[in-house]
Amino acid sequence: MITWVMYDIKKDKPRGKIAKACLHAGLYRVQYSVFLGMLTANQQDTLSLLLEELIDEETDSVYIFPMSKEELNRTVLLGQAFDKEFVTDEIRSLFF
Amino acid sequence: MQIFINTYGTYLHVKDDMFEIKVKDKEEKKVKINHIAAHKITSFIVSKGSAISTDAVALALKHNIDIVVVENDGHPMGRFWHSKLGSTTKIRKRQLEASLGEEGLEWVKQWIMKKLENQADYLQDLAKHRSTLLPYLQHQQDQILNYRLRIKELNGGVVQEHADMIRAMEGNSGRLYFGALSKSIHPEFAFQGRSFRPAKDPFNAMLNYCYGILYSRVERSLMLAGLDPYVGFLHRDDYNMKSLVFDFIEPYRIYAERCVFVLFSTKKVKKSFFDEIVGGVTLNAEGKPFLVENFTKFFDVQVIRYKGRNQTRANALQLEAHQFANRLIEKL
Repeated sequence: MITWVMYDIKKDKPRGKIAKACLHAGLYRVQYSVFLGMLTANQQDTLSLLLEELIDEETDSVYIFPMSKEELNRTVLLGQAFDKEFVTDEIRSLFF
Repeated sequence: MQIFINTYGTYLHVKDDMFEIKVKDKEEKKVKINHIAAHKITSFIVSKGSAISTDAVALALKHNIDIVVVENDGHPMGRFWHSKLGSTTKIRKRQLEASLGEEGLEWVKQWIMKKLENQADYLQDLAKHRSTLLPYLQHQQDQILNYRLRIKELNGGVVQEHADMIRAMEGNSGRLYFGALSKSIHPEFAFQGRSFRPAKDPFNAMLNYCYGILYSRVERSLMLAGLDPYVGFLHRDDYNMKSLVFDFIEPYRIYAERCVFVLFSTKKVKKSFFDEIVGGVTLNAEGKPFLVENFTKFFDVQVIRYKGRNQTRANALQLEAHQFANRLIEKL
């Protein structure tokens, strides 16, 4: 499932940890506090439990949105866009 | 996802439990850093001239990722893989037994027959859009099917008794098949049979590279199924020969051939993909990513109908390897 994770975190330290947790889960960073990628239902659960521990419920917020492929294709991207094929794991080979 | 590392001076290491790939950009004099989560990766295909940290090797082993070191033409030289069997030893014992007995002949016949069938089918497909070549292609196809029949009729005894015959039939139909492919391709890219180390023409250069990738994928599938890549049935037990890989790859060679041929016939191949070397041509840094991208799309993304389900060709290959292993131990 295509999943968006976006957050607003006040303190630097938990923010850094949350960013790392998102990358570990296999999401790609599309903006400073916005991550996007393919997660299974289990992976999404794991991630949300992990993030729940890291945030301060009084001040911070994390939103996790699932999205269908069709909806992603209808999104509008202005300026610096990300690669839709890349974030949906359709690119199967990378060259360096 | 497979990661191909071809740039000289690339450094693969681990940061925060993720792979970090550092690539030097010569023009901008910067180092580009890429992070990739371990579970997104299935293999690293690395050519010479790059560095890998032991931590990266360890992380790869932990996640069942294989690190394959390849030669310039895409052929695997070796790989890092955990030293576990992947399955039960029973499979390997049975594999040894089967390779010596009559059962081995049946497997070999099955693989080679499938290969010839694939060749004949492809010529038939080509004939559909090439009316001027139709009689010629049909003739070649019939002959290949004829060779297939002669293999089918082999009976009794062990593989070694029939090995020369099988190889002859295989070689004959290979010549007919590649001759037909050469006639069907744009005259600019026509070629004289198979050539390798080095390839004498662009078609062979691309095909060799694709076969190289395929070898590596077949070897991986066999290992995952618990089979020993070194114990072959038809191919001789030569020193250091990955015989089973050479045997098992036969029905799948068609994937490389179809993928490469289509790139030529749809005029996607450019002259700039190749560099001249002594005695032949080689794929260069522009050609390799182009070919690999197309081949992985063909092999890992596009689906075929396999046993009533839509599967990628890669999955189908893995399933066949497992099935082969299971059939071996069933007969105990």
